[in-house]
Amino acid sequence: MTTGNVLLNAEHIDKRFGITHAVNDVSLTVNAGEIRALIGENGSGKSTFCQMLCGIYTIGGGTFTLDGQPVNVRNQVEANNIGISIIVQEMGTLSGLTVAENIFLGHEDPFMHRGIKDTRSMIREAQKLLDAYGFNGIRAGAMIDSYNFEDRKLVEIVKATYMKPKILIVDETTTALSQNGRLELYKIMDSVRADGRSVIFISHDLNEILTHCDTISILRDGEYIDTVNSKDIDEDGLKRLMVGREIGSAYYRTDYGKEISSEVVLSVKDVTVPNQISDVSFDLHRGEILGFGGLSECGMHEVGKAVFGASLDRIGTVVLADGTEINDIPSAIKHSIAYASKDRDNESIILNESIRNNIVLPSLDDLAESHILKSGKLNRFAQEFADKMQTKMQGIHQFVSDLSGGNKQKVVLARWLGKGSDILVLDSPTRGIDVKVKQAIYALMQELTAQGKSIIMISEEIPELLGMSDRILIMKDGKINGTFLRSPQLNEEDLIAKMV
Amino acid sequence: MQNFRNSRLYGFMILAVMVLFFYSLFKFLTPSNFGSPANLYSYFQSSIIYSVGGCGLYFIVVMGLFDFAVGANIVLSSIVGVILSEKLGYFGFIVGCLGCGTLIGIIIGLLYNKLNVPSMIVTVGLMLVLESVAVFAAGGVKQTLAPELRFFSGAPGNIILAAFAFALMWFILNYTRIGTYCNAIGSNEFTAKNMGIDVKKYKLIGFALLHFFVGIMAILTVSYGTTMTALTGMSTMSRNFQPLMGTFFGVAFRKYGTPISAIVIGEFIIAIIFNGFVALGAPTTIQNVVTGAALLAIVTLTARGGRGSVVK
Repeated sequence: MTTGNVLLNAEHIDKRFGITHAVNDVSLTVNAGEIRALIGENGSGKSTFCQMLCGIYTIGGGTFTLDGQPVNVRNQVEANNIGISIIVQEMGTLSGLTVAENIFLGHEDPFMHRGIKDTRSMIREAQKLLDAYGFNGIRAGAMIDSYNFEDRKLVEIVKATYMKPKILIVDETTTALSQNGRLELYKIMDSVRADGRSVIFISHDLNEILTHCDTISILRDGEYIDTVNSKDIDEDGLKRLMVGREIGSAYYRTDYGKEISSEVVLSVKDVTVPNQISDVSFDLHRGEILGFGGLSECGMHEVGKAVFGASLDRIGTVVLADGTEINDIPSAIKHSIAYASKDRDNESIILNESIRNNIVLPSLDDLAESHILKSGKLNRFAQEFADKMQTKMQGIHQFVSDLSGGNKQKVVLARWLGKGSDILVLDSPTRGIDVKVKQAIYALMQELTAQGKSIIMISEEIPELLGMSDRILIMKDGKINGTFLRSPQLNEEDLIAKMV
Repeated sequence: MQNFRNSRLYGFMILAVMVLFFYSLFKFLTPSNFGSPANLYSYFQSSIIYSVGGCGLYFIVVMGLFDFAVGANIVLSSIVGVILSEKLGYFGFIVGCLGCGTLIGIIIGLLYNKLNVPSMIVTVGLMLVLESVAVFAAGGVKQTLAPELRFFSGAPGNIILAAFAFALMWFILNYTRIGTYCNAIGSNEFTAKNMGIDVKKYKLIGFALLHFFVGIMAILTVSYGTTMTALTGMSTMSRNFQPLMGTFFGVAFRKYGTPISAIVIGEFIIAIIFNGFVALGAPTTIQNVVTGAALLAIVTLTARGGRGSVVK
């Protein structure tokens, strides 16, 4: 797909975050006057690729060339100055500033005269822009904080496009917009194309992509797969390209047809967490691995928190087989529920503490003798479970901050193994973890379920869900949108169809 | 879209209601001792000294920083100003206070950037150093401002100088990059960096500006009290809090676009409360209770984390 005038040329673009190879030698071109979609599963490297282009991340390797000139920018303002702008997935405006200040942040020079900012002229100019875009209800002189998320996104659209960038990147923005807001954005994208400039459009909505984009590039696991014309492909074809990898069987379960125990160990009934999940109900059975999948913001991560009693404002019930209700974290731990968060460094591990102290933390009551903690006993306990997890360490007194991501995860699991938890909620248990540790974690999960323990595994990796779960619940927009039983016939397309 | 509850007018209305509430409360409790026009004018004059400091603190508090060396710098800058005034008159007094204040701010900013440790720790360390320097500079003697140099001790001098400070802050916030960038850094430092903002530079500028305002506060403080005594042992700590309460008002009302008015009116409200208790005949120690309670109330109102947020 390199016909036409090439506007952007990406050659051998590469980026690593520790052991994670986020973008792996990606080369592609974008022509002038086209809307190019960039699609792929979560973690396929789409956003990282674009964020390198616009200076949010440094370029790990390779070169971007825009209009024949090499791109090497250190921040968004430098990117804007050479004709690249981005509308980010998250909130891209800054609180505490006016709408006008947000629009011209980093670009105040036209309004500065001998160090003095012509605020009135800045507000006037911003208002002209807002009016020209049809966003008349937004006042340029007002504080941005007085507007809701969607209005702030509209301001961001103005900010990203008023300087007529050569390349406009729209990174999963449409989910934040109402239908009207989306139509405005599509109009802007069309006008960029009509001017002979280009748009890189990231979205999980395949229908939206096929309707509004000219060409589609697919990334998978950080690698470039292909670029296709929208008119030559349908949604199924795109899904095939997105997930078309061979599912390695080396470390996943190979058993099929295992009967799920009828013994329910945990019942979740009508659980709602405002703005996160809605009316979620399911049973967890003894010895079962129950997988939860979906797109990043589908609410599945909140399910784990809700089960562990960590959600705020939770409605509905989480009940153990003996009728005990779980409403907070202490009662969850007391009743043998463990939780490993996706945000390992911030929510699961105490980084500036030793491996020993991390492992013994929830078990201190059990280890105390007449309320006295004996160092030798704690050491032996920590050593036993760190060894069981084959943690690579200099010793149990080493600080966790020195460990790799995989070994940190082993410490988290060692902690709950030591506690003897019967129900494990594992959110993204192999996130950022290399194949060898993955294999060890999967083996442990099988060992635990063989002992009758039950696991809720929340995962953004479809092969992991297919490879490890007895049952898979797919979530969409905060609700359970599909249930699948383990089967060799079940494939990635089946799950994706319920996610998007 | 924007509604009335987010408007500047609404912010002013809340402040006005608070003033009226506390005024009416104490007027009702002690009608003869409290709240005459002359009294109110006096409360206002005492509150504007703290308002000036509150304006300075705003520049760093919006960036999520803190400064415990404000009180120590008021003392040191006052002493330097008084010493210089003995030979150079008003020129020495003003330049001494402003120059010393600003210089200390630059030193704090540089140290903060260089050491890369929390601002609270840097400024506590500096507070101890500055207190000792002040004792050394004063030679252990109480410094008295000459009677002929006390234009700023009362109206109109103090009001003119404070008005200059408020106007300067208004100008910086609205007509320079500094105000915008300080707010941007406080909102999201990572995004601010991505917008090409030199975060370290603007934090240094924030500290320098804060202590320039502290210099103005030193002029007003020593003019009002006419003398300044240097003491060690963290005795200057208590001088940090009253300006800070005004700053918290400013931060809370920033969303209405009225931070300076909120600082000035907020300090006035605190002055009303103090003087209300004095009029009631409450013992002096009650002022400490009121300071503590007011600080807690204001911080709760302005800086309380959302549910589930980690507060340290």
